[in-house]
Amino acid sequence: MDYLYDGSFDGLLTSIYYSYYEQKAHGIYPEASYQFNMFTPSTVIQSDPVLAARVYDAIDRKISVYSLMQIYYVYLSNNPAKENLILKYLQLGFQLGPKIDSIHSHPEVLPIRQTAKKVSFEAERFLGLLRFTDTGSYLYAVLEPDHNILILLADHFADRLAGERFIIHDKKRNLAIICNKKEWYLSDSSEEAAIPDSETEQFYQELWAKYFTRISIENRKNKKLQSHFVPQRYRHNLVEFRKSELL
Amino acid sequence: MGTLEKLAVLADGAKYDVSCASSGVNKHNQGGIGNSKSFGICHTWSADGRCVSLLKILLTNYCIYNCNYCVNRNQNDIPRASFTPREVADLTIQFYRRNYIEGLFLSSGIERSPNHTMERIYQVLDILRHEYHFYGYIHVKVIPGADPALVNKTGLLADRMSINIEQPTEQSLKLLAPQKTLPVLFAPMNQIHHQMTQNASERKIFRHVQKFVPAGQSTQMIVGASKDSDLSIIKATETLYNRFQLKRVYYSAYVPVNEGPNLPALSTSPPLLREHRLYQADWLLRFYSFKADEIVNEQSPFLDTDFDPKISWALRNMQLFPLEINQASYEELLRIPGVGVTSAQRIIRQRRLGNISYNHLKKMGVVLKRAKYFITCQGCYYGGIPAESALVRQALTPVAKPVQLCLF
Repeated sequence: MDYLYDGSFDGLLTSIYYSYYEQKAHGIYPEASYQFNMFTPSTVIQSDPVLAARVYDAIDRKISVYSLMQIYYVYLSNNPAKENLILKYLQLGFQLGPKIDSIHSHPEVLPIRQTAKKVSFEAERFLGLLRFTDTGSYLYAVLEPDHNILILLADHFADRLAGERFIIHDKKRNLAIICNKKEWYLSDSSEEAAIPDSETEQFYQELWAKYFTRISIENRKNKKLQSHFVPQRYRHNLVEFRKSELL
Repeated sequence: MGTLEKLAVLADGAKYDVSCASSGVNKHNQGGIGNSKSFGICHTWSADGRCVSLLKILLTNYCIYNCNYCVNRNQNDIPRASFTPREVADLTIQFYRRNYIEGLFLSSGIERSPNHTMERIYQVLDILRHEYHFYGYIHVKVIPGADPALVNKTGLLADRMSINIEQPTEQSLKLLAPQKTLPVLFAPMNQIHHQMTQNASERKIFRHVQKFVPAGQSTQMIVGASKDSDLSIIKATETLYNRFQLKRVYYSAYVPVNEGPNLPALSTSPPLLREHRLYQADWLLRFYSFKADEIVNEQSPFLDTDFDPKISWALRNMQLFPLEINQASYEELLRIPGVGVTSAQRIIRQRRLGNISYNHLKKMGVVLKRAKYFITCQGCYYGGIPAESALVRQALTPVAKPVQLCLF
């Protein structure tokens, strides 16, 4: 039996609940992109916060917080097989308990570690590679990450920019973090902000671009190394690359 | 002069300082702006591939000193500029709000006197911390010769402080920076170290005592401006770590900016490979519990350019290898070329649950290409050639890329 879920983390955990208490899941897939076929029957799972919370607690108690975090990171990844990686990992996890955190090279564990690492790496990268523009009434930042890391950035910036209104907009998925000086929430639709070309904003962007070009040492030039750290696909959202034509 | 020009001039003067880390301290915003993460955050990478984490600028590039290697020495005919403390503070805040930077790295030429300059540096920190309530990262240079009281009150506002010793030995310092001496540089280093220790013990009793330089202190040495060997550089580094508990020692491959009888010619390219090898050696000192004389010694005072220092050490000590992966202690695992801190920890953890096979090792991040000559796995040796120094050396030597010959 294939389980189809609505794409939410709760939905995924609910599917796992049913896989244990109803019928074993052959696979779990997001309903929106599922390819029906004649031989595997499928059923749509309604996500249920209560059942999801039970699975969540069970992972926390019987496996570990670390595993829980890893699963969440994998859930945020763009890996097309992520639901099934998580399902298999949890099946092993409920057998082994916290020991699962030590067997890095196990075939069910390794892909989880690798995928989770990609996600957490990208999230950490964007703590630095995010650029805000001052629109006059709030700060606005846009990003197009490979993985769905937006939510992993929220707490960091809400703490850092306490006292400011800001929007962080994931243009690829059309999600946004909106913060009103204190609390933040995730909104699932957002318009791209119309940014007025204020003089002060232009001034600071120019200053930054200037600083950026001056800080590099000509005799040590190493474009390959730079590309390794700032891949081309992120550059069009970065002031210093846009302004200095290093795109 | 406008802010744009000033920034250009004063960024130019600061860029040869390599330190740009924003690590070592976790801080939350307590009603103002900013926080810090102990892992440090890089915000962008410049065209030379170096990380940009902090707004690294000079307060002024006027300088009363005339250090041979320095672009800002007083006899150089270059554009000069100074920021006011308020300009620096405003720039920092505006860049920080837009998430361009993680904080400020403030250095300075010495204008008028060490005390005068140190006082102005303090003013920048005072505005940032007390007026803007800025909780981001601040790294400042201590001006050697400044009043210890000034250094102390600046240290209470900074996250990290550093004094560049620039040259590893007294002789080369005398040759290249005749107005500086090691004791003058060591005095504030010693003061900061002493006060950090004292501050830590006071904070054990009184929780609200203000932190003094919570992210520790660092220093920098220029590599290749003088004739010093890697031996003296690494020895000096080890002494600095032991004596002052420095967080980091940075190495900066000398970029020729000045002409002079005691300096390499302007056409010399910066010794980047040597700098890289020194950083590798520094890692061995800090994270792999190596001693300086294990890495270099009187017989071979320079680091091998073909091999990283850990392989060189292993090749000189083949009698210790091969080590059994399933039995070696953590310290022994760390000494195997191709095994890093992460993979050593993984090996230790997974070993508790069962034997580790050769196939597991690659998945744990071990670089078998190097490690295979130095290990056995469940009693088997997978190197393919006898584990003898000369043979392994040959097998590990990087092969020169074949070049297509030209027919005409």
